[in-house]
Amino acid sequence: MKATLERTDLLKSLTHVHRVVERRNTIPILSNVLIRADGGELRLKATDLDLEISETVPALVEAPGATTVPAHMLYEIVRKLPEGSQVVMETSSDQATLEIRAGRSRFALQMLPESDFPDLTAGDFSHSFEVAAADFRKLIDRTQFAISTEETRYYLNGIYFHTVESPNGARFRAVATDGHRLAQAEVAAPGGAVGMPGIIVPRKTVGEIQKLLDEPEANVAIELSETKIRLTTGPVVLTSKLIDGTFPDYGRVIPQGNDKELQVERAEFEKAVDRVSTISSERGRAVKLAMSEGRMVLTVNNPDSGSATEELVVDYDAEPIEIGFNSRYLLDIANQLTSETAIFRLADAGSPTLVQNSGADDTLYVLMPMRV
Amino acid sequence: MAVRQLSETVINRIAAGEVIERPASVVKELVENALDAGASRIEVVTAAGGKTLMRVSDDGAGMTAADLALAVERHCTSKLTEGDLMDIRTLGFRGEALPSIGAVARLTIATRNAEEPHGWEITVDGGEKGEVAPSALNRGTRVEVRDLFFATPARLKFLKTDRAETAAITEVVKRIALAHPHVRFSLSGPDRRQPLDFPAATGPDARLARIGQVLGSDFVDNAMAIEAEREGVRLTGFAGLPTYHRANALQQFFFVNGRPVRDKLLLGALRGAYADVLARDRHPIVVLDLDLDPHQVDVNVHPAKADVRFRDSQLVRGLMVGAIKRALVEAGHRASSTGGREALDFARPNGVDPRTGGWQGGNAQAAPARPWSGGYAAPRHVPSRPSGDAQDWRLSAFRPLHGEGASGVEVLEETAQDAGAFGFAESQAPFAGFDATSADTRADAMPVDAGLQAHPLGAARAQLHANYIVAQTEDGLVIVDQHAAHERLVYERLKDALAAKGVASQMLLIPEVVELAQEDVERLLDRADELAECGLVLESFGPGAVAVRETPALLGDTDIRGLVRDIADDIADMSEATRLRERLDHVAATMACHGSVRSGRRLRPEEMNALLREMEATPLSGQCNHGRPTWIELKLADIEKLFGRR
Repeated sequence: MKATLERTDLLKSLTHVHRVVERRNTIPILSNVLIRADGGELRLKATDLDLEISETVPALVEAPGATTVPAHMLYEIVRKLPEGSQVVMETSSDQATLEIRAGRSRFALQMLPESDFPDLTAGDFSHSFEVAAADFRKLIDRTQFAISTEETRYYLNGIYFHTVESPNGARFRAVATDGHRLAQAEVAAPGGAVGMPGIIVPRKTVGEIQKLLDEPEANVAIELSETKIRLTTGPVVLTSKLIDGTFPDYGRVIPQGNDKELQVERAEFEKAVDRVSTISSERGRAVKLAMSEGRMVLTVNNPDSGSATEELVVDYDAEPIEIGFNSRYLLDIANQLTSETAIFRLADAGSPTLVQNSGADDTLYVLMPMRV
Repeated sequence: MAVRQLSETVINRIAAGEVIERPASVVKELVENALDAGASRIEVVTAAGGKTLMRVSDDGAGMTAADLALAVERHCTSKLTEGDLMDIRTLGFRGEALPSIGAVARLTIATRNAEEPHGWEITVDGGEKGEVAPSALNRGTRVEVRDLFFATPARLKFLKTDRAETAAITEVVKRIALAHPHVRFSLSGPDRRQPLDFPAATGPDARLARIGQVLGSDFVDNAMAIEAEREGVRLTGFAGLPTYHRANALQQFFFVNGRPVRDKLLLGALRGAYADVLARDRHPIVVLDLDLDPHQVDVNVHPAKADVRFRDSQLVRGLMVGAIKRALVEAGHRASSTGGREALDFARPNGVDPRTGGWQGGNAQAAPARPWSGGYAAPRHVPSRPSGDAQDWRLSAFRPLHGEGASGVEVLEETAQDAGAFGFAESQAPFAGFDATSADTRADAMPVDAGLQAHPLGAARAQLHANYIVAQTEDGLVIVDQHAAHERLVYERLKDALAAKGVASQMLLIPEVVELAQEDVERLLDRADELAECGLVLESFGPGAVAVRETPALLGDTDIRGLVRDIADDIADMSEATRLRERLDHVAATMACHGSVRSGRRLRPEEMNALLREMEATPLSGQCNHGRPTWIELKLADIEKLFGRR
């Protein structure tokens, strides 16, 4: 194999691809990136057996062929090469090393045979559709924070994507929860998505997708089956296994009849929560919200250090209520909201609270109170 | 195959398997018999780990010829008044030991009762009972067991080495001896190098004296007396300080009405009592007696009688946890005395010639360090800045060449380490004098307040290695590990706050359903209130499942199933849900660790003194969360001994 290409192109692709590779591996080939030179392009591919990213780069191929070399090392080498240089990659005659040349630098990396490299792409996809990168990115951005990290509830370790019917037509919806709070975001369902199986995309994959979708104008082609998702944008193809589990029936926990409505200036509220929670030192320290006509009083009590109180003017006319929340969760949600005014819909101190942007909206958050 | 009645011999051999498991169980049965006979002196002789010979002689009541003939028959005993298994006041009562031994070994019993003109003797050989014959003997009984298990070769094969069996016999005798300080025990034989002899102890301190004989005087120095009584149940004995712990639970002795037992409930209660001051894998040393009305306890659970059942197990448990916790709090900042002694042992210049090596580090050898010669490269002299400065002697100390060798005096710690790492020791030397000394001498500047020295932990004089506070007391010096000490103080404060304020719980959006065995579900639901206080709210969810509705907010996004299962197991094992408290305390401990003064932080004299005073005032401050001591004391007398002044 012999190929010549621009350092900049190679680096960009490697940046996408090498992140998939775990730092420590028990199977040596998983530390490597697959390089295949064929017909005017170089294809790079890396995998951790659950997630695979491959990307093509234009190259001048003199001798087609394929091999694998350590991914992180190759990335570091290319990153340190001088800008604007041409990189030549050539396998040695005994097929033991890959030589990388640029300017006056030469590297020889040990190779592992390409035939050992695992392939995730096999299998058929039942549904395929296209969605705007910006839309898909929004679904992820708005829900990612609520993904659970607790591994025993593996079915919560990802975002649940599915379609639902609504009066405004079919919607493509993303939901994530860690059992304490829930985030839901939706966009109009693209053609072809309707009837897709509900899928849970793992946390790591979600993170990688987020990083790949940095061009908002682009479109993303999504193909999926019960067990896999493949996502193509530009030269990049991401294939990932899905979490094999049943996402809970989240619809039941989204409160419908919460009648106490509260409207508050989002930025002010966020700052107030942040300020009063300075007093708390422990993880999970509660902030108490006391609502009465036209005002909200936020209180944090920490017997070690003292207490903090802040009063906000709000739009509230239901009967007074006191409710405690984890301040961390309140901040997370306040962070996610986009409108100037946040709407809280409350029932009582022991029931879930609904938080939304003001106006017609396609995101909603549910938060469970704390008992203090 | 036709069903048939087994022969008497086979029945006895099968039954023997339950009572007689190994030589040590023979010794246990025989010694208990001797005690029940009112002996004041019991002699045990063994050979080859008891496999070839065990002989137990006592000066007890003895038996008449008629009794003797009956004694080796099954279910014959003098100890049980007709049919009342509720009122057991003797160690034995089942009437099984002697026939069982006789069934599997060659048993000879010689005995003389006061009523008889001479002694009698009987032999049982693998179940073959001989005739009662006259024998020459003083008052008492001598039981001789030879060739144990010769009649059941299968069991013989499963015996351990002679050494292991010898050790097991020693354990048994020690265990019984602990409970009976007024009886003299001796244990000898060709299979042990050193005969064991526990002379009878008398007087009010008899118990402590016997404990000293059996467990060594270290335990006596590090023991807290336990005494508590509630509703007719009396707990007495001694419990070790948390800093005096072991890696296994072998040295935990429980006696119920004088009977050595090893009961899950008691072990669990002990763990509960020490949970907060010992790491999970360390074990306290205790000798505890529980005295209660025989009607309140059932010892007839297992032939070996190591298990017991209490009628009111919660009372026993509560009494024990309460009494030990109270003692721990009272012991306050008291730490193990062995710490100081061990340090002295290290410091003692064993066989080191003062003129050649080993002594150079002497001028500041206060920290409990490794032996002086260890880890030291050849010390070299570092030229110090010429000045009349009173503190200068510290700078002119000998310093190690290599950073990692600096286990002893680290007067020039930082520079030595930098220099050592690069091997440029020489070039750094001129700068040495400008660097701060590791021994913070600012405490010296303060006039030493005699009032401060009167405190148990004395007046802070210096901080060494930026972690050890050296304090002077009226008759010695105290070394405090500032990180461990402060961590414990912060931990106690956090725990108090937790207890005062209650545990905040995070309600769950989706209740977590945990499937469990039905009996686990019931156990959990029985304690639902107690768990709710700790922030874990659960309720029944059909048969074989509970639904968790709230979890302690402190635990964050946690493995709920694992937690609930662990708690269910804890309740089953020890009838207490310690795990949840432990988990919460663990979070508190982690926060304490992060929130406390680290080693390496220089403390001002005022800060050091404040820390010492707070330690004195805080209960349980003598050890860190893992049972390591937070401070040790060296007595002036001991130090003087080191220097040959005494």
